[in-house]
Amino acid sequence: MSRISGRISTQSKDQNNLLVLLEEAQSKFGCLSQEIMSELAKSVGVSISEVYGAATFYAFLSTKPQGRNVIRICKSLPCFLKNSELIIESVGREIGIQPGETTPDGKFTFQLTNCIGACDKAPAMMINNEVYGDLTSKKIMAILKACK
Amino acid sequence: MKNIAITINGLQLTGREDMTIFEVAQANGINIPTLCYKSELPPIGACRICVVEVEGSRTLVGSCHTPIAEGMVVHTHSPKVLATRKVIIELLLASHCGTCFMCSKANMCELRSIAADLDMGLPQVPTRRLYYPVEDVSPYVIRDLSKCILCRRCVRACREIAKQNVFAVAYRGFESKIVVDFDQPIDTDVCRDCDVCISFCPTGALSRPSKVTDEKKGRPLIICD
Ligand code: SF4
Ligand code: SF4
Ligand code: FES
Ligand code: FES
Repeated sequence: MSRISGRISTQSKDQNNLLVLLEEAQSKFGCLSQEIMSELAKSVGVSISEVYGAATFYAFLSTKPQGRNVIRICKSLPCFLKNSELIIESVGREIGIQPGETTPDGKFTFQLTNCIGACDKAPAMMINNEVYGDLTSKKIMAILKACK
Repeated sequence: MKNIAITINGLQLTGREDMTIFEVAQANGINIPTLCYKSELPPIGACRICVVEVEGSRTLVGSCHTPIAEGMVVHTHSPKVLATRKVIIELLLASHCGTCFMCSKANMCELRSIAADLDMGLPQVPTRRLYYPVEDVSPYVIRDLSKCILCRRCVRACREIAKQNVFAVAYRGFESKIVVDFDQPIDTDVCRDCDVCISFCPTGALSRPSKVTDEKKGRPLIICD
């Protein structure tokens, strides 16, 4: 048993460390460029593939430049049952881009994400670090208007 | 190390306490199919094809990573186990390219062989499939990721055995993919010709480049009539 758990734990330690560094870099530079990822790989002592793997797995890390306001609408089941589709549509209509895109003026990036832990306020979304719940089309207009 | 007594398929067997159910079964000639597991690598329990029934356990357990325990009663081929394995293969094949008839590795493919053992044919579930361009930049390895089942054997073999770290899993969910660097085709800068990953790949996703003309490089032959 120790044979198995021993080998797993050493690997995840490096990866935890990497994740912390990736998060720091993300908040400092806004996105993870190839230069940043290469540098991190070197300093942590892992391969570029591993850094790229982690950077593309986590929804809150991004390898592409992001808008000033990153909108993340929850696409998980509880929110879906509370009509998140409508919310996704309204946001898309309001800012004129599809999920996965950034507005040309760099104001908004629009993404869909899995559960953000606000199911009690479904349908929910996040803009940067702020959570907004019990969304309606009307509410969304007001929220988006307040964004700089 | 202590010996432990367990029952597999009604047979009274013993194994060392650090052995897994799979290892005891294998040592006694009982064949449990595996895909992500290889004896040379630490088990990760990713594919679930090795599941078995353990009496008293609420769910089926992965035999490749579950250590044996005193008095365990295991069934490796019960109807429940076989039904589950069929679903797993069906799901693996569902997003697979399913071109076995034309696949150059069909006779060596472990996925195809397990599917055949379970009496299963080509994929039955209509679903989205991801077709990737074949990567043939490297003179040492061709990657055809439409045939990849994400077992991670290449990732681990490269890390643990070749002591390189060429591969990693990137993206998420349906888009998950084994990548090299920033998702670039594998080339000679990152990989020399150790062949380790190719020999560990259970499917046709990794193969050695060979030219059709390679077989025709022998001496000239004269045929008299
Ligand atoms: S890799 Fe295996 S399952 Fe996939 S097409 Fe080839 S033979 Fe069939
Ligand atoms: S390329 Fe082969 S060994 Fe690697 S994850 Fe895919 S199927 Fe497994
Ligand atoms: S399902 Fe939407 S926040 Fe949990
Ligand atoms: S072989 Fe056991 S989980 Fe894959």
